[in-house]
Amino acid sequence: MTDARAAILARLAGHRTDQATIAAQAAALLDRVGPTRPDRVRGAPDAVFLQRLASPAIGATGERIATLAELPEAVSRYLAAHALPPLVAVQPHPELAGLAWAGIATHADITPDEAVAVGLAHGGIAETASLVFHSGAHSPTLFAFLPMHHIVALHAHSVRPWLEDHIAADPPRNVNLVTGPSGTTDIEGTLVRGAHGPGHLHVVMIGSNNDADPVAATRPA
Amino acid sequence: MSADFTARAGAALADPTLKIAIDRTTITARTKRASAIAAWPEFPLARALGRDIKDHVIAHLDHYLLEFEANAIASGARVHWAETAQQACDITVALCRAADARSVTRSKSMLGEEIGLPHALAQAGIERVETDLAEHIIQLAGERPSHIIWPALHKTREQVGELFAREHHGALPLDTAEQMMASARRELREKFLAADVGISGANFLIADTGAVCTVTNEGNAELTTTPPRLHIVTAGIEKLVPSTAHAMSLLRLLVRSATGAELTQYTSFHRGPRRPGDTDGPTEFHIILVDNGRTRMRAEGLAEMLRCLRCGACLNHCVVFRQIGGHAYGGTYPGPMGAVITPILDGLAASHDLPNACTLNGQCQEVCPVAIPLPTLLRGWRDRSWREGLEPASLRGSLALWRFVARRPALYRAATALALPMMRLFARRGWISAMPLAGGWTRHRDLPAPPARGFMAQYAARQKAARR
Amino acid sequence: MAAADRPHVALFVTCLVDAMRPPIGFAAIALLEAAGCTVSVPAAQTCCGQPARNSGDRAGAADLAAHTIALLEPFDAVVVPSGSCAATIIQYPELFDAGSAWHARATALAGRTHELLSYLADHRKFIPAGIALQATATYHDSCSGLRELGVAAQPRALLGAVAGLALLPLDGAETCCGFGGTFCVKYPAISNAIVDEKARAIEATGAGLLLGGDLGCLMNMAGKLHRRGSPVRAYPAAEILAGMAGPAIGEPA
Ligand code: SF4
Repeated sequence: MTDARAAILARLAGHRTDQATIAAQAAALLDRVGPTRPDRVRGAPDAVFLQRLASPAIGATGERIATLAELPEAVSRYLAAHALPPLVAVQPHPELAGLAWAGIATHADITPDEAVAVGLAHGGIAETASLVFHSGAHSPTLFAFLPMHHIVALHAHSVRPWLEDHIAADPPRNVNLVTGPSGTTDIEGTLVRGAHGPGHLHVVMIGSNNDADPVAATRPA
Repeated sequence: MSADFTARAGAALADPTLKIAIDRTTITARTKRASAIAAWPEFPLARALGRDIKDHVIAHLDHYLLEFEANAIASGARVHWAETAQQACDITVALCRAADARSVTRSKSMLGEEIGLPHALAQAGIERVETDLAEHIIQLAGERPSHIIWPALHKTREQVGELFAREHHGALPLDTAEQMMASARRELREKFLAADVGISGANFLIADTGAVCTVTNEGNAELTTTPPRLHIVTAGIEKLVPSTAHAMSLLRLLVRSATGAELTQYTSFHRGPRRPGDTDGPTEFHIILVDNGRTRMRAEGLAEMLRCLRCGACLNHCVVFRQIGGHAYGGTYPGPMGAVITPILDGLAASHDLPNACTLNGQCQEVCPVAIPLPTLLRGWRDRSWREGLEPASLRGSLALWRFVARRPALYRAATALALPMMRLFARRGWISAMPLAGGWTRHRDLPAPPARGFMAQYAARQKAARR
Repeated sequence: MAAADRPHVALFVTCLVDAMRPPIGFAAIALLEAAGCTVSVPAAQTCCGQPARNSGDRAGAADLAAHTIALLEPFDAVVVPSGSCAATIIQYPELFDAGSAWHARATALAGRTHELLSYLADHRKFIPAGIALQATATYHDSCSGLRELGVAAQPRALLGAVAGLALLPLDGAETCCGFGGTFCVKYPAISNAIVDEKARAIEATGAGLLLGGDLGCLMNMAGKLHRRGSPVRAYPAAEILAGMAGPAIGEPA
């Protein structure tokens, strides 16, 4: 449909602004972002993340452990607390594969009705308590969508203050920001948890990041 | 006042269940938006920024389309262009046929509704599975969406329960919204994974990466677009933004205005097909850039409407929408934003009622996260409808007479002096409950009786008396 | 400009007040004089052209605008006891080609035109003195005044100075009442559904009085309240502020 392309572009062509001017205008718009950010989140990004995560609006749960090696134990506790069998899909990430999954049967292929999947997020965003997933060999997209319970490990040092802070220059095929368990407001506008994606989201924060700039400090006045 | 609109509005007003359904969703939506905005004192600055980002893109749309196209192609996507709804549907159907697709999953997209994609797929004999809960409800009921965020807003939970009991194969209980969602989850699970093609819309097209951003709460978009062999995106050309960072500013506005949340549960950026090493994702990724009237809007004084993020706030706050619901508008887009867009899509002759059936109270503009001057744009259509002679002769006649008299103060006073006592003949105990030519008023409410003499006459008499 | 402390004000009373509710005009004069203004009522005034403008008849609206501009431009200020008619005059420049003489005149007039209650409160720093009314009331914000002219705090501040008057909050006070000028007769069924909801909200406040700043909206709400058999009585706020609370809207004199 090259003629449609030409026709649309012809109708849009006006006086042409040079590329440098357009780029400068676009950059100037971003200079205005700082003061528009919601100035409610204060403290170390990982601490803010866990606070926001537990708010009713997001409806996820979280805990903190010292090192990644403790993750299998945390998963066991979660399974026991929810009376789930010790059978989990583990995201094929090298950091997770190396863990001692004693007492838990793990597999790397996720099934459509998987009960529990354990994953490792690429990063976190404190502003909205969002997990960032980058697709790739170590991070299949469907891991974040098929299980009923999604347990996600998150390195405290990978949590950054704002939505803009995890933008990759050359992003992978799929970048997902996951903010709480799935839900719907499609029946009478009321939020119901557990739609097509996971019904439960549990974040396990690894370590802490007290040296990071507090969130509030990163928002220019 | 075309009979169609009046009849549809009348039918809606006569349906008490519809009003219950509309109220349940819109009251919740207004309350949640209000608290989200109250918790964000920076909103006015954010709104001005959102407006300026969109205006910048619309001013340089050709530049950004070309940048997006180049980057999308570099990511392995195939980019198609469609001037009209028909072209966009034809391209989609041709892609499905070429892929030998039997089943297509679709994640809610207003653009898909606008171009008539559900109908086109049905014509082509391709099975379509709607995966968004509301669209699933609409598909089962054989209806059309009545709201841009909540397509099934016109249905109460009781009605959804009855529908699912009839149409779903499972035997799950259906008493609560949670159970209805669970039943739909089960019903659609296998279909997600069996589909050959997944079709989505786009909330943003990111020019500097060629990525397509979609937002959902249910997780259905990713389940729609990841398993099938093909992912087809249909997107309006106004969805462009310069970069992901620009999209983030607009997301803050969009989500709070739509549902009152701070971010959708799933905010996804799709960039090209499956890459080496990926274990899932489509092998073909197609993007169809659709004009369908957008370049005309830009050229014909409606460029500001292209800012629209499709958040639905103007619908939830519109007193007219809240009484008649979405179907009465007769187009894809209802409410204030629909009343501006529909005349472009369906022609003003068929839709001139929409810009007129509005009190111009301005609340839509006040809540719009990108400050679209909706009342001004609606006035623009009224002016044009008048110029093109589409307004009824009775109205034209009365306004011409009014102008003639109001231009001649002496005649005006004489007419007032004559009319007021005549009106008073219809009054009983201070009120007029029926009077010729006033049926539009008195059918539903009483009219206070006027004074025997108007203010100007009384004032002149007092001045005269004072001078004596 | 005359002496800043005693402006010569033209009262543009509006066609609706002229025909349906003269006491508003007299209350406006009393209030403006109490606020230190010299008031004139130009005799050739008729209609601001709002019905034509809202119906898309720009030529008709411009014709009445020209008449009104010529009539009102000699004064220091123009005061209108209606938010929507004041807004129409303030938006007159849109009816003329930019750069034309009429556009310039319209712009100059727009800058001197005010809605009554906001003029009293903001420009005259007026506070009613010695006015008392033992009553409970609720206030509806008419949309044009509220959103186009920013009239919201002023009427409440003024009414707050009336001894004995208790203002009760109205749920959805900022929601349109469904009047909309010609809208209410062009789409009567929709308008009725909107005003019915408004009437219920007014009744739910338990207030004895409904007050407002725009006669059109007040007549719409009062007419619906009366049809519903509601005991709520409707008054233009100006009449209360001027201490001229006679018969309410629809009550025989
Ligand atoms: S016009 Fe504004 S308020 Fe209405 S849907 Fe579009 S962005 Fe939202």
